[in-house]
Amino acid sequence: MVDRGAKRRSKGRGTHLNSNPRAIAARMIHQVVGGRSLSDILRRDLEQAGPEDRPLIQELCYGVMRWYPRLDALLQLLLERPLKAREGDIRALILAGCYQLLYMRVADHAAVAETVEAAKALGKPWAVGLVNGLLRRLQREQDQLLERLADNPVAQSAHPAWLLEMIKTAWPEQWQDIIEASNQRPPMSLRVNLRRQDRDHYAAQLKRQGIAASAIPGLPTALILERPQDVHELPGFLDGSVSVQDAGAQIAAGLLDLQPGQRVLDACAAPGGKSGHILEAEPALALLVALDVDATRLERVKENLQRLKLSAQLCQGDASAPAGEWAQQPYDRILLDLPCSATGVIRRHPDIKLLRRKKDIPALAALQSQILDAIWSLLAPGGKLLYCTCSLLPDENEQQVAQFLQRQPDAQELPITASRGHKRSCGRQVLPGEQTMDGFYYALLEKRG
Amino acid sequence: MALLEILRYPDSRLRNRAKPVDTIDAETRQLVDDMFETMYKASGIGLAAIQVNSTKRLLVLDISEQRDDPLCLINPEILSKEGESKEEEGCLSVPGIYEPVKRATHILVKALDRDGNSIELELEGLPAVCVQHEIDHLDGKLFIDHLSRLKSTRIRKKLEKEARQADD
Repeated sequence: MVDRGAKRRSKGRGTHLNSNPRAIAARMIHQVVGGRSLSDILRRDLEQAGPEDRPLIQELCYGVMRWYPRLDALLQLLLERPLKAREGDIRALILAGCYQLLYMRVADHAAVAETVEAAKALGKPWAVGLVNGLLRRLQREQDQLLERLADNPVAQSAHPAWLLEMIKTAWPEQWQDIIEASNQRPPMSLRVNLRRQDRDHYAAQLKRQGIAASAIPGLPTALILERPQDVHELPGFLDGSVSVQDAGAQIAAGLLDLQPGQRVLDACAAPGGKSGHILEAEPALALLVALDVDATRLERVKENLQRLKLSAQLCQGDASAPAGEWAQQPYDRILLDLPCSATGVIRRHPDIKLLRRKKDIPALAALQSQILDAIWSLLAPGGKLLYCTCSLLPDENEQQVAQFLQRQPDAQELPITASRGHKRSCGRQVLPGEQTMDGFYYALLEKRG
Repeated sequence: MALLEILRYPDSRLRNRAKPVDTIDAETRQLVDDMFETMYKASGIGLAAIQVNSTKRLLVLDISEQRDDPLCLINPEILSKEGESKEEEGCLSVPGIYEPVKRATHILVKALDRDGNSIELELEGLPAVCVQHEIDHLDGKLFIDHLSRLKSTRIRKKLEKEARQADD
């Protein structure tokens, strides 16, 4: 059957911005190019779009970010002269058009027609001819154009040159797999609350609802969904039977060796996924302090724990300069999930490809060592600290830990017994895509008693 | 994967009736994949095996705007119908013709999916119309059969003329 109604409906929308999903996506992409985080923009603005348009808007935003370095190189081939700076929204719209032609199963003619329509909705009818011409040329000459990008490593890897170099240097054997995994769509992973039910029981419940999921050997809480789902479709989500958390992040709680009566600090807690896991894993802790520097992000920890019906002491504070109530007494266990380049989770946050700069890495490394030194003073003798990042870069991981061990004589590294991931000079690294996981780095440190 | 030829009205093979699929073997799955490819390429939202000259009782559809929500129904059967509405329909086998057809607004369908799992679906709106349209194909019927004699004759003449011109 053929549906002519679809076209009629979209014409009926007229040229109002809020009703043209491609125009909305172009504005959002333009803002990310300007330096804002995509998830912040979506959280704030996606609700303004009609519910039926939201999936397309998200697909366009994430897709353009995922392939941005390649699409950008393609655009440079297509454009005879660069667009003026104030035409960033049109530039973003053309990128979204290219993404549709190359990566989406929209019929080509519809993709071109709707993208042209969006130029009007952006209030730039002058661009109709330009958008139409460029996209039709891409449609006609796609193979030749892509051929011309064949020896451009940035376009091929869809990663910025500096990051590609850093990944190649750190992972000479694995860099191609890393790049490929980072360009994939991430799976949706769940953490089953074992206090409520075991994982197989929950998996059976999902199956009855037609949701297929698979387990990961050695990770008793994790389920990987075959297809992403709206969380509200998940049985028991609202009452805390299950949380959304990448399987790689679920390694953390198990490494902490939690025991009843311990005092535990989650030092960079927001949005609270690992705090929740710690409390599910050992409900008889004496205390869990969930600390974060950002008060609004701390609100999300609160919401997460409320849903799980768990409680922690929430504290707003700076982990690099301990002061206040939370910094008075030492802790038996500290989870230090540091701010980092997030280069291990590019598949979840593809806007990292645009937003992160080479100079961020030394700045982040300096911040990490400052936080690690400061927090170490709060660890009780005989206590353990789990250092973790979602970075792939040695500067933020094993080198950071090695330097710390040198300057901190009362610190020693404990081996991580799990076989998953790659052993590094200190700690272990899971690379993105391995056993479906995000890229995570873990090192376990003990304070000599 | 391969693109298949879509039969065009008044091709008499569109009047064949489909036979239930006994086993979903590699050949059947290949047909399903090829039908999806053919449907997407032709910008259709549904395609029945009869339209690509196969008498297997199966159909494919995808009514999503993003073209990312494929659904395959093997041996589909309508268990119940409710409501009535008249919406314009078009057909890949009757190109260029759009006419309103009376259909049930809600249907309950039983079928097998591509992997042979038994499924039951409650459909309403466009997906319900599309499934009714495609099941008609499997029974040798076209949407223009629902129109008045006058209209369907006019459409047949028009398409026969176009076919002759294309042959010349």
